[in-house]
Amino acid sequence: MTATIIPDLPVFVVIAPLFVAFVLPTFARRMRLVEALVILVGILGFLGALYLASLVFAQKGSPLIYSLGGWQAPWGIELKAGNLGALFLLVVTGVSLPVSLFAKGNLAQEVGGKERSARFYVLYLLLGGALAGMAVTNDLFNVFVLVEVVTLSCCGLVSARNHPRAAEAAFKYLIMATLGSTLVMGGIGFIYMITGHLNMEFAARELASIWQHSPHVVWMALSFILVGFGVKAAVFPLHVWLPDAHSTAPSPASAILSGLAVKGYLICLLKFLYNVFGSALMQEFAVDRILVLAGAVAIIAGSILALSQDELKRRLAYSTVAQVGYIVLGLGLLNRQGLAGTLFYLASHAVIKSTLFLAAGAIIAATGKKKVSELSGIGRKMPLTMAAFTIGSLGLIGLPLFSGFVGKWYLLLGSIETGKPLPTVVVIAGSILCATYLLPVIRRAYFEPAPDTTNADWQDPQDPGFSQKLALILLAAIVVLLGVVPGPLLELAKRAAAELLLLQ
Amino acid sequence: MKDFILKRMAAIILPFICVYGFYVILHGHVSPGGSFAGGIIVGLSLIAYSTIYGIAKGRAKLPEKVLVWTESYGTLWYGLMGMVGIVKGVPFLANKLAGVNLGNPGTLSSGGLISLIGFGVGIRVASTMVTLFFTMMEE
Repeated sequence: MTATIIPDLPVFVVIAPLFVAFVLPTFARRMRLVEALVILVGILGFLGALYLASLVFAQKGSPLIYSLGGWQAPWGIELKAGNLGALFLLVVTGVSLPVSLFAKGNLAQEVGGKERSARFYVLYLLLGGALAGMAVTNDLFNVFVLVEVVTLSCCGLVSARNHPRAAEAAFKYLIMATLGSTLVMGGIGFIYMITGHLNMEFAARELASIWQHSPHVVWMALSFILVGFGVKAAVFPLHVWLPDAHSTAPSPASAILSGLAVKGYLICLLKFLYNVFGSALMQEFAVDRILVLAGAVAIIAGSILALSQDELKRRLAYSTVAQVGYIVLGLGLLNRQGLAGTLFYLASHAVIKSTLFLAAGAIIAATGKKKVSELSGIGRKMPLTMAAFTIGSLGLIGLPLFSGFVGKWYLLLGSIETGKPLPTVVVIAGSILCATYLLPVIRRAYFEPAPDTTNADWQDPQDPGFSQKLALILLAAIVVLLGVVPGPLLELAKRAAAELLLLQ
Repeated sequence: MKDFILKRMAAIILPFICVYGFYVILHGHVSPGGSFAGGIIVGLSLIAYSTIYGIAKGRAKLPEKVLVWTESYGTLWYGLMGMVGIVKGVPFLANKLAGVNLGNPGTLSSGGLISLIGFGVGIRVASTMVTLFFTMMEE
């Protein structure tokens, strides 16, 4: 049996969560079974991703190609688990497993009711499957389908809480995201129009030889793709939906939305830019400069907006806007170290932001306080949660020994290599700004006395239950682990970067 | 008594619409239409039934549980048909490669697994249409 499963791994990691998502509604009331299945699928997915990554690693980066239905490349749909795919697959499965552990304890309180929780899990698994699909897909139209699945399940997750603000945020997200999908669809249409291929490799080959005949169409395709994914990944001026959506969603959903869904769109953008258009065309159309500029603006503006928020989850949501800026900036550096740094930073931000959102969710669930200014002394009441939050914050700031450092270090090396002052200055300034909006939370939590406990509306908060603690410990451990031993993941990122840049 | 004609006519026509929907679903690979369009037709016949005879009667015919089950297992059916390929040791969703008899071109039996897959999609679409209708009516 194992002999037949291993070659099919690229498709199994995508369809296994989908299969479970399809059958969950039929036993929605048996919560134990639902949770057990979700966690089981998470564990299996992670093991599968790990095995796939080790296979790719052992093959020195030659990708595992899987033709659906046995139809070969230009005609059939192809899945490709190369360095990039294996890396993102590891991120998706590695983050969504602890998040589902956290959801197990936290969801009933945040979402309310068994049926609603079961629906949450259905959407959660659909999102997981679609993100895994984004990691391995090698087909332009498949990208669009997966983008739609991710968008719609995200809308459902945002509106999972029974609250008018959640409905408003989800509606806003739906409108913006549909706009984004339409633009992406248009871009894919233009590419198909001039190349006649939907497979990324074939489209890229065709595009490289014929783009001079129709430069305007390529321009249109590029701008549609850039703006479309820009809306979806919340690149600065197009980010307006993100703070509402990510701060009103239930905490496990916020973690997965900020940590993974946004990254999924960025991976798709990366695949389009490097695998379809190629770095030569990017330079020709000045896309690299646009990306660096957009990223720089996003880092500064997102950080300043985060600084002005008093609500903890909103502050984290704006911080996501800033961190997306790093990744977008890195996509435009067009050198090996910068791109490797971007990929590593993408992975580490997924873990860090999930840690932060889950810790914030645990604090809000225990105290009912949403604002930073109300969190005095929480560090002594909920030591473990706050420790996880602190580790996440230090990682996001980019201190050595935490995973954010490695990513930012390589981004900095890449920026210096370009010889332009802007990215270098912004990458450093962004870290300082990040410290200014995260450190006050930690200072307030640890070094300010807790308010008088005799006060009626301050119940004595405690660390959350076992599964939530386990999730926080796991994620914080990954943050430290990736900072101390970045080796294998960094190697994977470097190989992926080399592969993406040599493709021109 | 005002809607006597409507109810009589519906009783005569609706079964045919429903069967026609299944016809379109199963002939998706040889004629225009297909499982999505056919599923819509089946769903519409059930929606028409509920609007003509009343929501309560429609609900009695199609309780929520049935809709949830058809929706879930209709989709799962698609996946299971895809698994036929993997069980036979060829890629996911393989049809001829998996050793399925493709039959005579142009007839219902041609296309191997396609009409079976279409059946799953069809009942899923039909039940989704009906669920959407009931949800909107009960809001």
